[in-house]
Amino acid sequence: MQSQVAAAIATADPQELVARDMKAILDVATALAAPFDLTTMLAEVISAAKQVLQADRGSVWLYDAKCDELVLEIATQMKAIRVPAGAGLVGTCARNRTIINVPDCYADPRFDSTVDRNSGYRTRCMLTLPLVDHKDVLVGVMQVLNKRDGVFDGKDEAMATALAAQCAVALQRVQMTEALVEGERLRQELEMARTVQMSTLPSVMPHIEGYSVFGAFQPAELTGGDTYDVARVGDELLVVLADATGHGIAPALSVTQMHAMLRVVFHMGSKLQDAVVQVNNQLADWLADDRFITAFIGLLDPRTHRVRYHSAGQAPILHFQAARGDCALYKPTSFPLGAMRLATLRPSVSLDMAPGDILVLLSDGIYEYQNADGEDFGVDRVRAILRAHQWKPVADLAAALLEAVETFARGAAQQDDITVVLVRRDAPHHAVSYFDRDVRAVGSIVDFTAAFFTHEALDPRMRQAVDLTLEEIFTNMVKYSASTAQVRVDLRCVGEGVEVALTDYDVDAFDMTQAPDANVALPIEQRKPGGLGLHLIRRVVDSIEYAYAPDTRESRVTFRKTPKSDEKRGAGAPPGDVSAGH
Amino acid sequence: MLVIDHGSEGVVVIRGRLDAAQSPVADAFLGKVQGVVTLDCGGLEYVSSAGLGVLLKTQKRLLAAGGKLRLTGVNRHVMELLGYAGFDQIFEIEPAR
Repeated sequence: MQSQVAAAIATADPQELVARDMKAILDVATALAAPFDLTTMLAEVISAAKQVLQADRGSVWLYDAKCDELVLEIATQMKAIRVPAGAGLVGTCARNRTIINVPDCYADPRFDSTVDRNSGYRTRCMLTLPLVDHKDVLVGVMQVLNKRDGVFDGKDEAMATALAAQCAVALQRVQMTEALVEGERLRQELEMARTVQMSTLPSVMPHIEGYSVFGAFQPAELTGGDTYDVARVGDELLVVLADATGHGIAPALSVTQMHAMLRVVFHMGSKLQDAVVQVNNQLADWLADDRFITAFIGLLDPRTHRVRYHSAGQAPILHFQAARGDCALYKPTSFPLGAMRLATLRPSVSLDMAPGDILVLLSDGIYEYQNADGEDFGVDRVRAILRAHQWKPVADLAAALLEAVETFARGAAQQDDITVVLVRRDAPHHAVSYFDRDVRAVGSIVDFTAAFFTHEALDPRMRQAVDLTLEEIFTNMVKYSASTAQVRVDLRCVGEGVEVALTDYDVDAFDMTQAPDANVALPIEQRKPGGLGLHLIRRVVDSIEYAYAPDTRESRVTFRKTPKSDEKRGAGAPPGDVSAGH
Repeated sequence: MLVIDHGSEGVVVIRGRLDAAQSPVADAFLGKVQGVVTLDCGGLEYVSSAGLGVLLKTQKRLLAAGGKLRLTGVNRHVMELLGYAGFDQIFEIEPAR
């Protein structure tokens, strides 16, 4: 190939005036501005150097900053070599960033003659010069060998230095362009892998009588390999959440593959145990040795309300238990899928879904979401959200969770895929929560009650009486018992009304409902703050009952409120004005 | 939430929920008022016995010094509780219109 740069230089006689030399250099600069690929650019640079300096051969070593090594990408009739910076002529030049002119190579101890021995070529004299771009970044080292007549002189050094600056910038530009092109190619491939990954996710949630099911996937911008599945398999519901290790295209594709495998084996009638073993073994054969997939694979039988599952390295599994108002956390049952072939697998584990229970599967993109301070979102925040939003429709519950994560992040970017799978056994009309033994918890109790009223569409006119009665009984428990346990609050729909129970644990029997009424007719000098609570609540609710269980040392106060009781008292009042917000 | 602050013309404005958790806020504020004080309760959504205790304590202190606490703009529910507590006998109360 006729070199464009060499052609530009051919018109210049390097033995003439300096102005003429400068023109040659500028011609080189113009020629090097062409959009070559790296290999062509290197050839152009070497060709130009040979022309300008009247050298027999030339080579360019590119600097690999990561390894602090120089790499001979191209050398006419020579093999590729790597040299550490600092070693030999090339390394010394790179380290010191100064030109080295060696008139007699075999007299210089830094010269490595093995290259000559291997190639049969004899190097007489050599000019070694650093390629440094205009930002003072070392791009590489150029060497020109054997000046046609004699050795390289001071004028050649000056020419070479001017040429080197042009070459450095040109090479730098080509390298950066190639990196950009490569980046764009990777991005497009990743986008395709993402599209495939997303396309396998369920587009509609299966309808299972007595259950609400929700799944959501929020991909990270560049990385991650989550998937989930919720699908009917016979009379059962298949529930899957999986997360492939690593970043980039491979995990996105491997979870997609696993997703497809699972669907196939279950639709072919495999039992849970066999399905997990089969998919594991296929993945073990198919995945690279350093890759694996953590996965929860479960089957819910909606008739027995039992979930049988395997959790291959996926944890924690959260089981929100409505009766407790909190989560049980389960560990993985085995190591991740694809890590190694399995002959057998331990039997599956079961969990039973009571009314209101929620199976909560979240990828570590949630638990490990880091905020601006590098703090993880963690399991406890998830538990708190489940307690606070337990009766919301599952889609709203998931939205509340994602919103909490976003608020927590305070602008910190999402680093990993986020996947949420919620399966709730429907059981409205009853909610439980626990509150710290502290009057400051009153605000949380109000929020809890407000959410229950909204969810159950209860008459908001009952709110004032319910809030007041709850507060008075709660603060009474906080003030007058020595227990340190949290106080449990149960809210239950009873017809159009509501029944509220507060349970105080580890306490002596004390029936607060027997406290006498306050004498409200006393003159103000004799009135005392306090003692009014019971007096008031007796007047706003329908009934208040006390019960004590001596064996468990539990005190329970239960009260009921119906909309009718308000109508009796508040006749003629405009409806709805009690529903003031908070 | 509870907000209590000086409004215009010497009126003290209270808004939100005067419950057990918030009553220390009201107590700290009302502990410093003097003379005849009008408490604008137009934004007071809720009051419990803890809140009533703060009002009573303030009223006793002001009366002893020749002042008093007047409650204005009281909503129906708060009014009802004030009635159950016998406060209509010891406070000058102006219900919300």
